[in-house]
Amino acid sequence: MNQALTERPAKPARRRRSGANAARGLLAATARGQRRTLSLAVALGTCGILVALAQALLTARLLAALLGHGAAEWGDLAAIAALVLVQAGLAIAQDRMQTAAGAAARAGLRGRAMAALFAAGPADSRQIGEKASLVIDRIEALDGHFARWLPAAALAILGPLLAVALATWADPLSGLILAVAVLLVPVAMAFTGIGAAVASRRQFAALEALSGRFLDRMRGLPAIVLFRREAAEAGAMAEAADDLRRRTMKVLRVAFLSATALEALFAAALACMAFRHAALLTGGHPDPVAAILCLLLVPVAFAPLRAFSAAYHERSAAEGAATALAPLLATPETHGLLLEEIPPSVVVTFDRVGLRHDPGLPPALEDISFRVLPGESLVLVGPSGAGKSSILRLLMGFSAPSSGRIALNGREAAALRPAEVRRLSAWVGQRAHLFRATIAENIALARPGATRAAVEAAARDARVIDFAKGLPRGLDTMVGEGGFGLSGGQAQRVAIARAFLRDAPLLLLDEPTAHLDPGTEAEVLDSLRRLAAGRTTVMATHSPAVAARFGRVMRLEEGRFVEQAKWA
Amino acid sequence: MGVMAMGTMLADLCRVLGLWRRRWPVLLLAVGVTVVSALAGLALMTLAGRAVSHEVAALSGAAAGGAGLLLLPWLRPLLIGRPGLRWGERMATHAAAFRALADTRVWFFSRLAERLPGGIGHGRAGDLLGRIVADVEALDGLYLRALVPLAAGAAVVVAAALILGAISPLLAVLVTLPLACALALPPLLAPIAARAAKGAAAAEGRLRDAVVDPLAGLEDTLANNAEATAILRVEAAAARLTAAQRGLARRNALAGAAGALLGQGALLGALGFGIAGGEGALWGAVLGAFLALAAAEPFAGLPRAGIAIATAGASARRLFLAADRPVPVPDPVATVAAPAGHALRIEGVRFAWAADRGEVFAGLDMEVPEGAHVALLGPSGAGKSSLIALLTKLAAPSAGRILIGGVDIAGLPAAAVRGKFAVLSQDARLFDDSIAANLRLAAPDADDAALFGALDRAGIGDLIRALPEGLQTRCGEGGARFSGGQVRRIALARALVCAAPILLLDEPAAGLDAAAELAFLATLETAAAGRTVLLLQHRLIGPFRPQKLFRLVAGRALPGLG
Repeated sequence: MNQALTERPAKPARRRRSGANAARGLLAATARGQRRTLSLAVALGTCGILVALAQALLTARLLAALLGHGAAEWGDLAAIAALVLVQAGLAIAQDRMQTAAGAAARAGLRGRAMAALFAAGPADSRQIGEKASLVIDRIEALDGHFARWLPAAALAILGPLLAVALATWADPLSGLILAVAVLLVPVAMAFTGIGAAVASRRQFAALEALSGRFLDRMRGLPAIVLFRREAAEAGAMAEAADDLRRRTMKVLRVAFLSATALEALFAAALACMAFRHAALLTGGHPDPVAAILCLLLVPVAFAPLRAFSAAYHERSAAEGAATALAPLLATPETHGLLLEEIPPSVVVTFDRVGLRHDPGLPPALEDISFRVLPGESLVLVGPSGAGKSSILRLLMGFSAPSSGRIALNGREAAALRPAEVRRLSAWVGQRAHLFRATIAENIALARPGATRAAVEAAARDARVIDFAKGLPRGLDTMVGEGGFGLSGGQAQRVAIARAFLRDAPLLLLDEPTAHLDPGTEAEVLDSLRRLAAGRTTVMATHSPAVAARFGRVMRLEEGRFVEQAKWA
Repeated sequence: MGVMAMGTMLADLCRVLGLWRRRWPVLLLAVGVTVVSALAGLALMTLAGRAVSHEVAALSGAAAGGAGLLLLPWLRPLLIGRPGLRWGERMATHAAAFRALADTRVWFFSRLAERLPGGIGHGRAGDLLGRIVADVEALDGLYLRALVPLAAGAAVVVAAALILGAISPLLAVLVTLPLACALALPPLLAPIAARAAKGAAAAEGRLRDAVVDPLAGLEDTLANNAEATAILRVEAAAARLTAAQRGLARRNALAGAAGALLGQGALLGALGFGIAGGEGALWGAVLGAFLALAAAEPFAGLPRAGIAIATAGASARRLFLAADRPVPVPDPVATVAAPAGHALRIEGVRFAWAADRGEVFAGLDMEVPEGAHVALLGPSGAGKSSLIALLTKLAAPSAGRILIGGVDIAGLPAAAVRGKFAVLSQDARLFDDSIAANLRLAAPDADDAALFGALDRAGIGDLIRALPEGLQTRCGEGGARFSGGQVRRIALARALVCAAPILLLDEPAAGLDAAAELAFLATLETAAAGRTVLLLQHRLIGPFRPQKLFRLVAGRALPGLG
């Protein structure tokens, strides 16, 4: 029996890094995977800037010609028009590349985040809305970093550099003016950007609080309505929304400041050019084309900086998102042994097991010892909060004992990965969650790839068929989130059908009949007894009727066994 | 996309604007700031260009020298004013938009509370979450990315048309026609982009469902080792979302390119006018060219407003679809005065949740006198939850009537009826708030002593007193920080603290162990002294001695043997 728990070593845990570093590490590692697409986007953008420079030169020459310096030709106009078309084409291609980079960067992160949330299990006490926001909104917020920020940052260096070079060729002092103006832009932005990153994290916290609150209240809407608190709750909602607005405005106040600095530098550069060349011209300008060209180069040089400024806000949003995501994604991979095969039977041994969730609170379990053999049933009874569920949770790998040891077939359970521990067992809780799927799919969840016949057999054993017959589409009836349309007892029978289908050596039952009426309870208990035959069963219950029909009964009070009795 | 759908979008967007009515002054003021800011930008570029051009012309002898220099002092106020206006414009528009959005959120919640009082059911909690958070945020695009830039663009076009029209009507047409086309692009592009936007929004909703469902049933997912299946489902939904977003981005890029082309078209028009024209064309062309150059930047992004309109339209449709469901039991137009008494009488009630599902009640008759303690017994699925829904006007009977204090509840507003009941339903949920806040849901003005009184009667007062934070302890989502039995007792305390005259208890002792159940039922009679109690149980145990007993059998209540 022991050799069934044969082990093979799993990967060692990855080391945890600290806050901001981890966030940057996550962004950098993801960017490395997109290097080719991003380089292509930057190359296309550079071509676009070169075309814009050529267009500015031609436009300057044409304007100078109109103003009496040379002959104005239709051919020049046609050349400008052609450049305009080329530029539009380049812009579309660049945009496509950037979108692809953003999409590819986000792909895969969602799966990893979900896996990390599953690995954390019920111990992660965050609200569902908050978790959903991590997997969806936070990862969405990363898009801007790859699709806009990274290419914009590269082009914000290359674009102004090229424009300054052309301006210097036309008039060295104008080149200097433009160079000073564009160099001041990142300085001004770095100054305002630091505050924006901090404020952006705060804004995300507010957004999550809002999502979490809404989902929580929607799930309990009947209680709000029955106590006639709709208006009060709407008021609280308004307060939460107002809080979000204040936080968002704080982020934007700073983010807009950096855009405003850019605007001021643009206006200053333009005015300096006008003063410089107007003065130069009154003294007899060496090159009138250069005068107009320098003026036209100001918007060309600032266009990539505008894109950079717009993306800067996205960068701090992405960094805020990455800071929240990095600890989740950097959660050390759960280590432990994997099962090579599921053993046909399991002996469960608890040896002086203690469990303490919080050092400030009394222990949940203390000095618990028992052994359950295949074919045996252990029934845990006791007042609510006595620790019955805690024992079941330990056996599900949701928590690990703080002292003592749990052995499965004589091997330390802690050596196995939690998910592997669960492969040994089938579980029926107090309230079954029905997923948005058909009843058959809900049952098949327990064993992917199960045949229809197997699912139907399980449905029969758990007496799901009895009520499914009366539903419009039988076992193929859709049941909603939270099990709409089925009563609590019916949902519970679906969970029992899962356990039948799963056919695991260990059976964990957490008050499986708590919400059933006596008639149904008796029927379900018969099914459960058949299910338990030959398996190792641990069950928590309040019901003496249930306890009477299963084997050994142990009574728990305040985390300890107080008596052990055989109820006939 | 048909004319019908376009009309719907327009109607939806107008309705959104209507919801913002209270914020119109702020929204319009912000538009005003934006228009001034856009005109300042136009003036800056044009003035600088004019000054330099003038001197270039003077050099070739086409104009008198020095006139351009006279224009330069005008640059100074613009130099200072334009950046300040730009910041003010953005702050004003965003602040106004967020205020409007906060109103929308609250409106949406109130509508749903009215229309889904029985809970979310098939409505998918994850999708609803997406609706209020993401869709409401998409509505800001209507104002910030469509209406505001369009207003600024229109101001620029009008200003350019007036200035250039004074020189030559043909020039005005050549320069402003492409700009006006760019202005007209958004409304024309919106219907095309709408389909893509709708697809993207729906894909995000489905992704949210794929994420929320396995997390809501976390224990069931883990216990069945269904993590891999759930992750595959999330990744498939994410891939569909990405594809939808790509389609939207492609249209966005095309629209951006079209805007850039039209902006440059205005420049080409001005230059062409200069090449073709003789005398007088010179200054017009230079002015037109610099106006076009100044307009190029704000106009390049303008056609994207079409995508913003489409996205906002799709979001508005989904919001209104959810918010416009019929109210399950509308309040009567003419209400009768609320009765003083609260004796319950059910006469020949028939009821089914849906036409294709069997009747839950087929002629239910029952009487609960004022102050009586009555038990109604029935197995799960016999209609206990349905009876609560009917009594509290979450649903209405198809035949028969329900009277409170001798008055048919059909003639009473739902709030008046619900005020008569303190309900503990089978699926009573605790909110992620403090214990005190959860209890005060039922009695907003109750003091701590009253709360502890109720908690004691529910048999959980001592445990709460022992908690380090006492009544301020947070319950966690759905009461996750407490065990199932503890959650049940707090929910029971919530029903007990409510001052309503009728206690409606659906399996109040479910989740309690046998000893606690006995203890609770023993105290129920004293706890509910003076109040009417309707106890819905699947069996009757222990010390609770109802004055009347009914059994729910085949949709009817049969007087039971006590």
